[in-house]
Amino acid sequence: MAAAATIAAPYILPSGRLFAATGNRVANHVVFCLFAGGIRNIESVQKQRGNLMPSILSGGGSVDPMIAAGMDALPTIPGSSLQSQGTLYNQFRYAQGPTGHFNGHSTAITGAYTLQDLNIKEPPKMPTVFEYYRKHSDPNQSALNAWWVSNTLGPYPSLNYSTYPGYGAAYGANYMQPITLISEDGLSALSNPRIFSSAEGEKINKLRNFFNDSFSIDSQVDNATVRNPMNDSDLLQSFIRQQLINAQAGQATNPWGVGASMNGDMYNVYYAEQIIQEFSPELLVVNMQGVDICHSNFTEYCNNLRKADYAVGKLWQTIQSTPGMANDTILIVAPEHGRNLEPNTILDSFGQPAIDHTSDNTSREIFCMVVGPAGKVNQGLVVNDITGESIDIVPTIGHILGFRDSIPGGMLSGRVLTESLV
Amino acid sequence: MQVWNNTSLKISFSLTLGILLIITACKKETVYVYEVDTVTSRQDDVNKGIPKSTVEFVSIAYADVFGNTISQNNLSRLTLLYLAFGDKRLIEDLLIKNMLNAPDVEITSNSEMRSNVSGFVSAIYSRLFNRDPNELEAFTLEKAINDDPELTPELIYYSMMTSDEYRYY
Repeated sequence: MAAAATIAAPYILPSGRLFAATGNRVANHVVFCLFAGGIRNIESVQKQRGNLMPSILSGGGSVDPMIAAGMDALPTIPGSSLQSQGTLYNQFRYAQGPTGHFNGHSTAITGAYTLQDLNIKEPPKMPTVFEYYRKHSDPNQSALNAWWVSNTLGPYPSLNYSTYPGYGAAYGANYMQPITLISEDGLSALSNPRIFSSAEGEKINKLRNFFNDSFSIDSQVDNATVRNPMNDSDLLQSFIRQQLINAQAGQATNPWGVGASMNGDMYNVYYAEQIIQEFSPELLVVNMQGVDICHSNFTEYCNNLRKADYAVGKLWQTIQSTPGMANDTILIVAPEHGRNLEPNTILDSFGQPAIDHTSDNTSREIFCMVVGPAGKVNQGLVVNDITGESIDIVPTIGHILGFRDSIPGGMLSGRVLTESLV
Repeated sequence: MQVWNNTSLKISFSLTLGILLIITACKKETVYVYEVDTVTSRQDDVNKGIPKSTVEFVSIAYADVFGNTISQNNLSRLTLLYLAFGDKRLIEDLLIKNMLNAPDVEITSNSEMRSNVSGFVSAIYSRLFNRDPNELEAFTLEKAINDDPELTPELIYYSMMTSDEYRYY
């Protein structure tokens, strides 16, 4: 009887949570590329201006001569398109909420629609995918395994954890905005730290413990940041310093050999690659937003769409050349929302009208691609039905990494994108 | 009569003037001085409950290490760097390590510290924690310095600036 009770009783893990995650994993790594900034299906999967995304999308389609002169020449990434290595949802939807960038990002990262404008100074109210992953994985995962890499600051740093009770910073991702951090300013302020010897480290720890013992902190306030344990923190500091040193040596000036074509999106993805190569994270989310120039310059939007496509191709190459992640990573690519059907009144130098995103039906139409090894992801499948929504991405990541079933019922309303998975 | 009158008038005038001068000379002039007395603002205990904001942390740390006020331009740049990484303790740690390694750092030398250990302990608590050490704290830190010739002001600065209390005011 006692033995039976012991077996039947839920147990408490050292982390404080009940039960262990029970789901099997489809793969051990997920990289989610938020192909953001607002992209219409008309220019992406429908290829009405030609195939502007040859790394991602299969099929030819030369670039519309009306915009071709405004497009930078980029080399072709060898190998087959990502579409042939996965499943393309042609009629994905950002179904609810304002078509704002932060709303779209929040939805994609939390799996919950935001039905009103958000306070951009606050973390999201619902848990992020990072928190679900770190809290509900068994064993619990460290922040070294969960990364959020954004191309700008503004409200985006706050997407690494929520204010949801029981979740929060303790389960957040390591956040990095490389373009600011790995910069001239970063070089002058962060690249030359005092390195303490182990003997000095012991003295420091002893003293710091003494000072800390004299001071009680407000745990709620103190928990308002993601914290890495000391060993992980050392690794991260070393990583940042190495990136700064590499940048100073010119290694990050033109890392892909595309010269002046390298834009902010590409640099952001380049640094996501550095994280992949250094830490092989189980969950990494990286975004791009260069296409948002479409508010004033349609041709540059198309140019940046092509660059973002190139960056995703490079990202996939890096994943496949990184031991531990090759053949064990599923890449998900999706915009946060689309853009309007009707243009605004601004014409670019090629006479092309600019386009905003103000929540019309077209601005809710997006695509989603799930790419991965044969045997895990359905290869070359195109789902032409109107199915799949932004809120489905988080449950799908949870399913792939095996923690979906441990998330309490009612927290995620989306479904797993089962069409894409074997 | 006229003379008397004149003489009387002169005497009367002289007396009045003399009395007025005496009164005026004896009257102490009131001097109003509007100024604020120098007051040392310190917390007498460790009941600090307000965490420093990003801007406060960076500007205070800079002043504590370099002994002068950070420029607005520099503050803006450091604040952006601070925002660009999620683990704030980590980025604070990295910033402080870099500040302490700068050539123009202004912290007490080892010889100065050892020539007046109790003065140093009192001064560093005042500078970094904005309060006086209590007896136990003063005794413990003084003993640590006296017992360990390898314990430098730099290590003490770093330990205090990366402690919990330093993040609050």
